[in-house]
Amino acid sequence: MEHIILFAGPMGAGKTTAIQSLSDIPVISTEAANTDRATADKATTTVALDYGEIHVSDEERIRMYGIPGQRRFDFMWRILRDRAEGMVLLIHNDGPDPVDAMREFMIEFADLCERGGVAVGITRMDVAPGPILTHYTDVLERDRPDLMVPVMPVDPRDRGNMEMLMMCLIANIEMRAAYSAVPA
Amino acid sequence: MTPDSGIAVGTRPTVQAPAPELAGWAGAATAVHAIQQMPMPMTLRLHVADHGVAHIDFAYNAFEWEHPLDAFPVTPASVLVETCTAEPDAPAFELPGRTLDPLLWSIGFHAFGDEPAPWLVEGHRYHLRRWPSLSGIEIDLDQVRMIAMLGNAFATADELAAAAHTPPSDARRLVNALSVAGMLRRSTAAPALDAAPASAHSVAPSTGLFARLRERWGH
Repeated sequence: MEHIILFAGPMGAGKTTAIQSLSDIPVISTEAANTDRATADKATTTVALDYGEIHVSDEERIRMYGIPGQRRFDFMWRILRDRAEGMVLLIHNDGPDPVDAMREFMIEFADLCERGGVAVGITRMDVAPGPILTHYTDVLERDRPDLMVPVMPVDPRDRGNMEMLMMCLIANIEMRAAYSAVPA
Repeated sequence: MTPDSGIAVGTRPTVQAPAPELAGWAGAATAVHAIQQMPMPMTLRLHVADHGVAHIDFAYNAFEWEHPLDAFPVTPASVLVETCTAEPDAPAFELPGRTLDPLLWSIGFHAFGDEPAPWLVEGHRYHLRRWPSLSGIEIDLDQVRMIAMLGNAFATADELAAAAHTPPSDARRLVNALSVAGMLRRSTAAPALDAAPASAHSVAPSTGLFARLRERWGH
């Protein structure tokens, strides 16, 4: 049995690091020189995708795909999102217009959010002034009152943080499937 | 009323009213709940015996406290509460501060023991308004499951406990915590939470990917 979870977000949000924190195998990363240093000041960025696995048991795996942060690789999103059950969306709080970036990804992956689920991790909240948590949650409440999206600050290097975000995502997916017929 | 004169729930300057008969975190939780009903922005200072002062600015969903939350004092000798009107565009301390959800969760979880918060009405069903930020909270995965249930259905604490296969006191504490954190909306008309919904297999605590991953990670 396998499950597919996408890790999405802008370049520099920490997708590769988050998958590395959770994966039971060495993460397969396809990185290349970042030619867009204005958007994110990092030497490399994910060109095709990152791939890691969580071995739930001998027969069951969670396949984690980190998808490109640059819009010119949009075609990769479309292929993977049709197969995915959920998405971890990472947004770095010190990036350009981070709340708007979250909205863009929520719109881009609306079908996955409705069909499965999404959990949002806000990274780099402690490094510089930026939006506070309620700026994100207020936008989600306004834009998608039908979705109950876990949003929390995370450090993608911290396995405990990432495990909690993943468990919230999976709990939400399972409960949504179980109770979706109950009027709210 | 000054911080050393007893539990003070009110605004400065002095409010000439009897102090509520609430001990420990109960007074703080009640003050937080009251402030959340007010239209004007407020700040709160909690003088926690032997643990310094926690300063809360609701307008910025932030707090400042030298004490770490992973050593939250569950039964402090006293918690004195000071409320102030917030100045517009003037945060009470240097931002960003610390995200408020974990503090309010901790206060609400411990404020009333295993009993429901006094403002929660028996028979009312509650639904999550938004997920709490769980970073920094001592939380177990039974609680995560119950939060997810409340995110997708209305329930009383007892219905939640039955659906989640947890003791009612655990569900009551969780509902208290979410309520103090301002994350619940209520309904008097929503149908009862079905303890055995259509996909009961995935909801049972011992089955589903959540349960298997929990076992795998040893939580």
